[in-house]
Amino acid sequence: MLPIESIRRVLDAGLTKGADLAEVYLENKESLSLILDEGRLEKATQGNDVGGGVRVFYGNNAAYAYTDDLTEESLIEAAGVAAAAAENANNSQVCADLTKRESPVVSRIERPFEEMSTQEKAGILRQMDDVTRGHSPYIVSVQCGYTETRRRVWVYNTEGVWAEDDRAFIEFQGQVAAQKGEMRQSSATGVGGQVGLEFFDDRDPVAMMPEAADTALLMLDARPAPAGEMPVVINNGWGGVLFHEACGHCMEADFITKGASAYTGLVGEKVGPDFLTAYDDGTIPGRRGTMRFDDEGAPTNRTVLIENGILKEYMWDLTEARRAGRASTGNGRRQSFRDMPMPRMTNTYIDAGPHDPEEIIGSVKKGLYAKRLGGGQVEIGRGDYVFTVTEGWLIEDGKLTAPVRGATLVGNGPETLRLIDMIGADMSLDPGRGMCGKGQWARVSVGQPTVRVPKLTVGGTE
Amino acid sequence: MDYLEFAKDVVSQAVERGVEAEAYISVGQNTSVNVDRGEVEKLSQAGSKGLGVRVVRDGKMGYAYTSDFGAGSIGKTIEAAVSLADVADGDEFRSLPAPQPLGEDDLEVYDQAIVDLPIGRKVEMARRIEKAALRYDERVVLTNRCTLISQYGTVAVANSKGVAGSYDKSFIGGFVMAMAADENDRSVAFGFDFGSRLADFKPTAVGKDAARKAVGMLGGRPVPTQRASVVYSPMAATSVLGALSRALGADAMQRNRSFLEGKIGETVAADMVTVLDNGRLPGGIATRPFDDEGVPTAATRLIDEGVLQTALHDHYTATRDGTASSTGNANRRSHSAMPTLDASNFYFQPGQETPEEVIGGVEQGLYVESVMNTASINPISGDYSISAKGYWIENGELSHPVNEVTIALPMQELLHNVKAVGNDLTFVPMMGALGSPTIRVDGVMIGGMTAGDSG
Repeated sequence: MLPIESIRRVLDAGLTKGADLAEVYLENKESLSLILDEGRLEKATQGNDVGGGVRVFYGNNAAYAYTDDLTEESLIEAAGVAAAAAENANNSQVCADLTKRESPVVSRIERPFEEMSTQEKAGILRQMDDVTRGHSPYIVSVQCGYTETRRRVWVYNTEGVWAEDDRAFIEFQGQVAAQKGEMRQSSATGVGGQVGLEFFDDRDPVAMMPEAADTALLMLDARPAPAGEMPVVINNGWGGVLFHEACGHCMEADFITKGASAYTGLVGEKVGPDFLTAYDDGTIPGRRGTMRFDDEGAPTNRTVLIENGILKEYMWDLTEARRAGRASTGNGRRQSFRDMPMPRMTNTYIDAGPHDPEEIIGSVKKGLYAKRLGGGQVEIGRGDYVFTVTEGWLIEDGKLTAPVRGATLVGNGPETLRLIDMIGADMSLDPGRGMCGKGQWARVSVGQPTVRVPKLTVGGTE
Repeated sequence: MDYLEFAKDVVSQAVERGVEAEAYISVGQNTSVNVDRGEVEKLSQAGSKGLGVRVVRDGKMGYAYTSDFGAGSIGKTIEAAVSLADVADGDEFRSLPAPQPLGEDDLEVYDQAIVDLPIGRKVEMARRIEKAALRYDERVVLTNRCTLISQYGTVAVANSKGVAGSYDKSFIGGFVMAMAADENDRSVAFGFDFGSRLADFKPTAVGKDAARKAVGMLGGRPVPTQRASVVYSPMAATSVLGALSRALGADAMQRNRSFLEGKIGETVAADMVTVLDNGRLPGGIATRPFDDEGVPTAATRLIDEGVLQTALHDHYTATRDGTASSTGNANRRSHSAMPTLDASNFYFQPGQETPEEVIGGVEQGLYVESVMNTASINPISGDYSISAKGYWIENGELSHPVNEVTIALPMQELLHNVKAVGNDLTFVPMMGALGSPTIRVDGVMIGGMTAGDSG
């Protein structure tokens, strides 16, 4: 990107006013997005976002300035703006030798995006559209999208960090609406990963569309969801988004160090059943949350969050790690060079448990099976959460009897985790479409086996 | 730099490629200050800029963007947009809008006082937010993410049909999360306030609001599952407006993705419901002289006393409709995004009753102060089921706090079941700017404890 001597001078400029750590972050993001709607390739967008920022730490605090003009002069100017905030600090740090770091994480793009023409990529969207429209006369709207993103990052700091990462993402998404009389229902789906064109070797975005259409069609004839407390069984894979939202966010260090999280001070304590183990793993090849280094140059890890029901570790970025006098877990992420990093999840999942998934559904006398979850939201402090069930089924006497629409799950994350009484052996990660919002967007993966919560509040209209 | 001249120059370069062309430029200065126990924990300041180029040829559209304003980069960006248009499919209704006269009225979206505000004052304002929250009540134990944001900048739009305009805009806002705790419970709540003018921004109110809500919710508990009247605070009522604004978009209606499709001219809500979109509301968060494709903004009456009048339009949907004109609702999240159809200042017209009178009219019901997961409300099906926090209403007065409940009712029914509209119109800066007074809706399904369970 810039010569290492230039970086060195920018870092020096960051230290001038007595800061104790200066960091340079550079980024080059290229993306292409195609949207097919009503059978027409309607929106095609391409662009490049380049910039860098300088962060200066003084004690537990930090100042940041960024620029979209990637020259040494502009970065030195940014360093000056950031350094000014550290005026009253009186450290005399000097920059350590910068040595490029290596990472054991495999993240290789085998076939770059350029090897396929935009027209060919559009052709896949056309197939997705055709298959869906041909699936049923009740399908009234189909929208398909393709996005490719290549994000290269460079991080340097005065403690000698020099880390580079090159992240490529492919995402396909589809939305289907079905109508019968006055009743309309919709369904969304997606597949993707951190991958080059070798994505197509083992994944087929066309194949996911009939399944999404089936969900919308099924919901047309579904009865309204019941309201009230009942046992709920949550499907594997994307169902892990509930753990991500309701518990994972409460284990991010920024809320922990403030004492603002329900999990503050609970390391070593029992927070779930004995057979529950959960990880945040930024090293899994090809997943959306995978990084060789995080956005602060720290190597990523497989962090054991919960082991056999005992809370083991939180997720740390550099800011919070400095505050606590420990090392980062490689969870410092930022949306772009315009944002300061914060602790974020990467690929987060509940590991396989002892129960047979069929036996889990079979164990419920009257309850809800959340086959597909939509999005959700959590209030991080207390861990209160809410989730939409986009495809739900009634469970009666251990059998799935009828589809229900419009269900919502509401509860408290830490409480729900304690209540979990069955975990299936069928752990799987999501198909690769997770996007987490915490003031900044970050690509993530989630996962879990089939899970049973014996008592959860379901919001429905009956 | 004269950004409008620059935009025009980009357009004339693109036109040489035999396309209709539009250039959108957004340039701004952003500051964000984060304080924790009085200390400046995080501070970020910088300028940013961006250019988006949209081209149309034979109804085929392409879009490319860059943040590099160098000649080489501009050429590459135009080239990319033109080649993407070649890949796209043609649409007879796709074109760029022709110029229309812009109003001369002062929309009050730019305040020099925000531009001139020194960093020290911004830090002080952030501290006042935090202090107000912590001092409100001794049960407020901490604040988190106490942030002040200020922005100002210029937007310029030009196209090959002759559209050419630019305006300056400023913005100041703050938010904080307050946590309250007593021996038995803890609760958190957000407070925030945003505006275009410095004088309207009240840091102390942000902190107090967060603290009041957090303390009030201590000891909250679910209520039994039941169908009951729900009184929405202005903040909570935006959950209805967000999905409604999407369902009222002409793009959703034309593509059969709205529960209101085909209902223009029909009664879709109770007669006390009037819904407006006004992109020219003085000082409004979403106010601006023209939209993001250069069409003058307007005040549009969407639902008038319960009857659906029109949809929200941008240039494309209006052209496709044939008889409609653009209501000036083309919007971009940033220079990197093509315009999409969005509401501007979108709100329920206030009524006569005070909020106390609205609550007073309910014997047994739920007062909803805040809601979560409003993004899940489906504008296609009208399915509406979200989580809510607030207070139980007993004989027209607020009693104990309520949490961990859901409220659900299809949007179609919800609009018809509006039984009271207050006089306290308040805007919330979400998805443009949504505004509502306190409203009462009857027959809402509240999901909570199993009846007979004593929680």
